[in-house]
Amino acid sequence: MALNGTEVDDFSWEPPTEAETKVLQARRERQNRISSLMGDYLLRGYRMLGDTCADCGTILLQNKQRQTYCVACQELDSDVDKDNPALNAQAALSQAREHQLASAPDPPSGTRPAPQPPVPRPEHCEGAAAGLQAAQGPAPPAGPPNADVMASTREALLQKLAWASAELGSSTSLEASIQLCGLIRACAEALQSLQQLQH
Amino acid sequence: MAAEGAVKAALQVAQALETIVSGCVGPEGRQVLCTKPTGEVLLSRDGGRLLAALHLEHPLARVMVACVSSHLRKTGDGAKTFIIFLCHLLRGLEAVTDKEKDSLISKNIQTHGRYWKTCCRWKFISQALLTFQTQILDYVVDRYLSRHFLSVFSSPTKERTLCRSSFELLLEAYFGGRVGRNNHSFISQLMCDYFFKCTACEGGFEEAFELVDDRFGELSVGVTGLPVSDSRILAGLVLHRDFSVYRPAGGDIRTALVTETIQPLFSTSGSEFILNSEAQFQTSQLWIMERTKAIMKSLQNHNVKLLLSSVKQPDLVIYYAELNGVTVVECLSSEEISLIQRITGLSPLVLPQASSQYEISSTALVKFCKPLVLRSKRYVHLGLISTCSFIPHCLVLCGPVQGLVEQHEAALHGAFKMLRQLFKDLDLSYLTQTSDQNYVPSPLIYKNRESNQLADTVNGSIQRPHQDPVEKNEGELAKTHTYLNTYSNSVVPSIELETHIFRSTPKVTPAGTQQTDEALGCLSANKTRIMDVCDLFIDGDPTTESTAENTRIEASFENVSIPKMGGKGSMLPVRCKSSELGTSRSCCFSSISAGCVLPVGGHFEILLHYYLLNYVKKCQQSEATMVGTLIANALLGIPKILYKSKRGNQSFPQVYVRALHALQTNQPMGGNQTGLESVSGKYQLLTSVLQCLAKIVSIDLVIGIKRQPQEVYDQESEEEL
Repeated sequence: MALNGTEVDDFSWEPPTEAETKVLQARRERQNRISSLMGDYLLRGYRMLGDTCADCGTILLQNKQRQTYCVACQELDSDVDKDNPALNAQAALSQAREHQLASAPDPPSGTRPAPQPPVPRPEHCEGAAAGLQAAQGPAPPAGPPNADVMASTREALLQKLAWASAELGSSTSLEASIQLCGLIRACAEALQSLQQLQH
Repeated sequence: MAAEGAVKAALQVAQALETIVSGCVGPEGRQVLCTKPTGEVLLSRDGGRLLAALHLEHPLARVMVACVSSHLRKTGDGAKTFIIFLCHLLRGLEAVTDKEKDSLISKNIQTHGRYWKTCCRWKFISQALLTFQTQILDYVVDRYLSRHFLSVFSSPTKERTLCRSSFELLLEAYFGGRVGRNNHSFISQLMCDYFFKCTACEGGFEEAFELVDDRFGELSVGVTGLPVSDSRILAGLVLHRDFSVYRPAGGDIRTALVTETIQPLFSTSGSEFILNSEAQFQTSQLWIMERTKAIMKSLQNHNVKLLLSSVKQPDLVIYYAELNGVTVVECLSSEEISLIQRITGLSPLVLPQASSQYEISSTALVKFCKPLVLRSKRYVHLGLISTCSFIPHCLVLCGPVQGLVEQHEAALHGAFKMLRQLFKDLDLSYLTQTSDQNYVPSPLIYKNRESNQLADTVNGSIQRPHQDPVEKNEGELAKTHTYLNTYSNSVVPSIELETHIFRSTPKVTPAGTQQTDEALGCLSANKTRIMDVCDLFIDGDPTTESTAENTRIEASFENVSIPKMGGKGSMLPVRCKSSELGTSRSCCFSSISAGCVLPVGGHFEILLHYYLLNYVKKCQQSEATMVGTLIANALLGIPKILYKSKRGNQSFPQVYVRALHALQTNQPMGGNQTGLESVSGKYQLLTSVLQCLAKIVSIDLVIGIKRQPQEVYDQESEEEL
């Protein structure tokens, strides 16, 4: 459908590929979220300004204290940042995985599952560390700690520590090394807090 | 580019507004809590109030809200639907132009050229939208949609008796989307009763609606602190004033209206009053007292027992009124005065300056005059005797808080506006292609609705239903159609959208030589593109006011230069300018007749969507195709939101498929009759949105200024004087 008179070749337009569709879908959802947030703020009495944000192009809002507020930048994750490996652990992981897959051109089915476990998921270990810390927190008011529980926890931590150091020695990727160092640090901190609890 | 930026920004704004509005649209909608900039909290479902309560500084947002407000002032309905529809149109437009943008960029054109190309493209799109709205939309609505219309009138011809049940359905649907769920059936019943009490005679609808719409503030009284169910209708008029002097009198009371003080003043404005001594002052005062006494005496002689005054009367007048047993109400607002004048035909007393005997000519009778106490406020309750077709009744609206009372008042006022539009014919006009070269228009009569004039040239009056094609009689005037242009300006209108929506049928008298010049005068606006209106109109039965029938009026136009026309004696301008088009076109005038309604729930949108897509398939012009598809797809957005919460058989895809199937197999479209909505209201909404969109799309640059530009007064001419 030519709007400006020049003949646009309709046959040159192809439907978007699956990746593009996903990107479009994600963008649309992001837009919807931004609009609903903006609508919410407007109902709360925020003022819709005539300017747009320099970073993301969303319309700026202003509250009663005259502070400008960009809904997209402050509240939603950036559209682009989540793909930047330097800023996002998930992105770093996926990049590392892609490297490994690319460097092993014929992955035999037997060795396939092997590369997966050695790359630990950071949120898993962070979650474990957080869970451990949370477990330590309410424990002191509950009374004297149970010795068996402490021993098994300590055992698990030492095991993980040993495994992580072994992996660190054999690791060649920068990202994996960083993740492993993080895991070791978390384990050490957990051990330290365990020791504090015991004494 | 700036214009694209306008569309993108408009889309962002519209999406934000849509999220606010879509929560409260339709009968399933909920109330929305909004904090106003003043700190007050507003709980409402009324789209217009919500949009006005938002604090918007973005220029495009203000443009949109201004368009919505001006639309609401005229039609009283459709704020939320406006925003939703506009948002969908903007989305569709962005999707279409995004595709094109890629191809444009890949062409590697020079930047300057590309800028102009995009600017011109947006202007082009804006023009295409307006052309589509004025030409094709009218055509589609008239030709295809009209067969689906229902009517609120029980008998479409002759006497337009209103069918009470369909009227109730109409009001239920209107209030269901606007007033809270616990109150809406009560309010719609109240309105229905009020309407039927006010219009006892048939055919007095338009006047009644006009009066109520204009003077709604004076015809309703708001009372806070009582439950909503205490609202009622009172016969007569309630004045928002208390008595200054109250002397109860029985029977019919003679009333006089004054707009100035009865007691003469020392001097009138513009003249000087010079006193030289104390004695002169005393004499003047005495004279004033005597005059006042005389006027009040003559009022008493004429048996005037009620005095309605728009100004504050001095103490002397009040004293004499008390003495003579005259009831006085003072400080009435000018709106109340004009309302009383309209209802009773009473005109204000002119107090003559000179003579001592006064003839008080204009008085009226009122049935009763008593105080009314609502809560803690006192009012005057008058039983007026009406001289027009409107029987005065007053609405007392109660509510626990002021906000709720205001909302109900606004909803009722909007309902009257909506009804006023419903009971008017909405004119449509469009060009049709006539491929038949032997098409000969017949001499037709124009039926002027104000005056029934029958021309002699008609060969019998033809009563025809709207579907049949126009019967063509053999005519004395044989013309060939040429290319014609009916609109002299397709300029994007200013904020006053309503002036462009309504096109009144041209007031042309029947065929006659001297009258064609008048016709020329009123219709040919542009000297360069001249339309010679050879006024040939088909008349329906001239004795009826039956505009419920879609009487097809057809006119043929010619393109003749004015100087040639002036010399002609007859109506036959034989010479025509060369037709630029191969095919000939004729201009059709038609209308959506008064009282046309459709069932609620997206019927109008689905029907129009279907017929537009059908039309677009047959159409060759690419821009009409683009605009038609854009509008057709955007129209579906409204029923999608209405059916958002429904599941299973009542979900939108099911409803849509059923409707399509019914249309394709020419079966009647089913639909539970839970409500009706006005077709002309929907159509006007559509045109308003398209005009707003055309305006937004043609914005090239937004310049922010800190304050309003000062008006430049022409000082020179005053100085010279």
